[in-house]
Amino acid sequence: MTAPVTGAASLDAKPLLAAEDIDVVLGRGWRANQVLSHVNLKIWPGEIVGLVGETGSGKTTLARTVVGLVRPKQGRIVFDGTEISGLRGGARRRDRRSGHVQLVFQDPLRSLDPDLTVAEIVGEGLKIRGGIGRAEIERRATRALQQVGLDAALLSRAPGQISGGQRQRVAIARALATDPRLLLCDEPVSALDASNRNYILRLLGELRDSLGLPIVIISHDLSSLAGIADRVVVLYRGRIVEDGPVGQVFAEPRHPYTALLMASAPSVTHDRPLSAHQLRRTPDDPAPPSTANACVFAARCPFAIGACAEQPALEAIGTARNVRTAGTVEAAGPQTARWTAACHRHGEWPALARERSAVAAPRQPAKLTRNQEGFSSCPSSSSA
Amino acid sequence: MSGNPPPDEVLGIEDLHITVHDGAVTAVRGISLSVSTGEIVGLVGESGSGKTLACRAALGVLPAGCAIESGTISFGGKDVTDLSRRGWERLHGTGVGAVFQDPSSYLNPNLTVGSQLAEVLRVKQGMPRREAHRKTVELFTTVGLHNPERVFHQIPAELSGGMLQRVMIAIAISCGPQLLIADEATTALDVTIQAEIIELLKDLRDQRGLAVLFVSHDLALIRELCDRVVVFYAGEAVETGPVEEIIERPSHPYTQALLGVASVGDFQRRELRVIPGQPPQVGADITGCRFAARCPAAIDACRSAPVGLMRLAPGHQARCVRAADPELAAAAAETALAAR
Repeated sequence: MTAPVTGAASLDAKPLLAAEDIDVVLGRGWRANQVLSHVNLKIWPGEIVGLVGETGSGKTTLARTVVGLVRPKQGRIVFDGTEISGLRGGARRRDRRSGHVQLVFQDPLRSLDPDLTVAEIVGEGLKIRGGIGRAEIERRATRALQQVGLDAALLSRAPGQISGGQRQRVAIARALATDPRLLLCDEPVSALDASNRNYILRLLGELRDSLGLPIVIISHDLSSLAGIADRVVVLYRGRIVEDGPVGQVFAEPRHPYTALLMASAPSVTHDRPLSAHQLRRTPDDPAPPSTANACVFAARCPFAIGACAEQPALEAIGTARNVRTAGTVEAAGPQTARWTAACHRHGEWPALARERSAVAAPRQPAKLTRNQEGFSSCPSSSSA
Repeated sequence: MSGNPPPDEVLGIEDLHITVHDGAVTAVRGISLSVSTGEIVGLVGESGSGKTLACRAALGVLPAGCAIESGTISFGGKDVTDLSRRGWERLHGTGVGAVFQDPSSYLNPNLTVGSQLAEVLRVKQGMPRREAHRKTVELFTTVGLHNPERVFHQIPAELSGGMLQRVMIAIAISCGPQLLIADEATTALDVTIQAEIIELLKDLRDQRGLAVLFVSHDLALIRELCDRVVVFYAGEAVETGPVEEIIERPSHPYTQALLGVASVGDFQRRELRVIPGQPPQVGADITGCRFAARCPAAIDACRSAPVGLMRLAPGHQARCVRAADPELAAAAAETALAAR
């Protein structure tokens, strides 16, 4: 989107949302499963943040924690100066019903009630909030539908009677009806074809521009995020491994996992700076450290060394520029470094990767591909 | 696609029409395609364009209410259009294997994945128990499952989506079929796993000469894997040709539009394009080109008469009256350029 900068995310401004040092454990006893470890996520007003990672990396759990559907074991969530994770009882209920933070759930076919009409779905949040008349609810439901580019004629239909792209827009309209100040979208485009995917992403970009609404987009498709997000946060097995402005991270990823995600994304052109083979372990690579505290990615990382036996902290990479639109670098005031990566070898591995073979080594038919799911089938969490 | 089929043709579909809703509407109108040994052919198009129906017809498993109205399907040179149920059963597994989108829904959650593959071998090939076990472990190794002996004794819930899809591929190729049909086989998987499954399919093609019919809605994915592509729109093939050629010189405006919305992979910020409008209703009665209503280059000639496939280059055909129009070619070049 080459739209003018709105609600500029100046770096020294106060974040709208701060999730601090979040640990989430799902299940109890022998089922207990640490889904998030020491996650710090800040969202500034007016920015679009892409949250990426593979199945089980904790993206959905992080979003559910932010809206209060999952209670963190440790850490706090501060929204606009109020610690919402500490609220209990009536105060918590009031906060939840205000609809300040809205989550658009994955798979609208399953998350929208098939027995309700679109009007009832979109107006339900306002009805629960209470104190709003029926006519007003209807007016705001119609307005929310207009905001997502849907015709008011759809109000009387059921979710089963509209197309997949329209359903996703209804799910977004439902979230917009309560005038949220922060919108989280869980995999809003993964079930859609390419044209509808771009339509929804454009719509989210327009909502940010017209309402100044900060949006978190959860996705495992990096290439579509590149077109719209301002910042990208990469999660791997419950930890943030890289966090930075989208232009810089995608130009020069500093965590091997980010680079692997980029190299794995299908594309219509064949020129890639690094191929996926250069970023995958081969049987010839030295065995990774297997200590309990090892870097989360070490087991899949071809560049793991002795130092990786300890989980690296997020470390600042240079000074992030506030890159908003293509090519234009804004001189923001006092700059704090916001490009961080959790890798001991963040400066060394790109050169090492370029030296590796770009194509798969010829293998015995019996050993076709090294299976990596053994490592990636990590803690099955609520994220589907 | 006329004349004699190539000698190594595995699957040949000729002018296939499929009706749905008990013959009320025609959803697939005149699809022709062929897949040869060692070739990967992609079917691409929006949801509802008839890709899956064409696949299911080629597998002999059309859903209730759907029927082949006309056209022929041949398998290894033999006409199988009116094959009996028993006949199809003999062909399944040994002649043609299939992999679908959601692997977990095709496996019995209560049985170990190994026993489910071994069962196929014992039923289809009459293998003794021990031999089937040995072959199963071997197949699991072939599809890149780590520690196959352990995987043999695991139930589907204990495996990740990528591992289950590998198990499904192992089952599909267990009886040595000549053709594998993969219908959106990687759509539900993570990008990293998707890339590995794509490589696995390529390896199987290279090592076994497997023919693959790969269905996807993502042109970028088709580009990564396939040799040839058939672009579907509203039940018709609108363009068909070698992948490189179609990416370099898309000749149908719909292909150009699909290329415009596909992921480019350079991770640059850009205007995200959409294809305006909606595809026509299934079975809508349209005289001319079915894409004309959404086409930026439509002229009167597009709407007046049915449009046939026009031959542009060897193996490259497009269903567009303006396919050879230099003006349209210029627009295509612009699309290709913008896609860079």
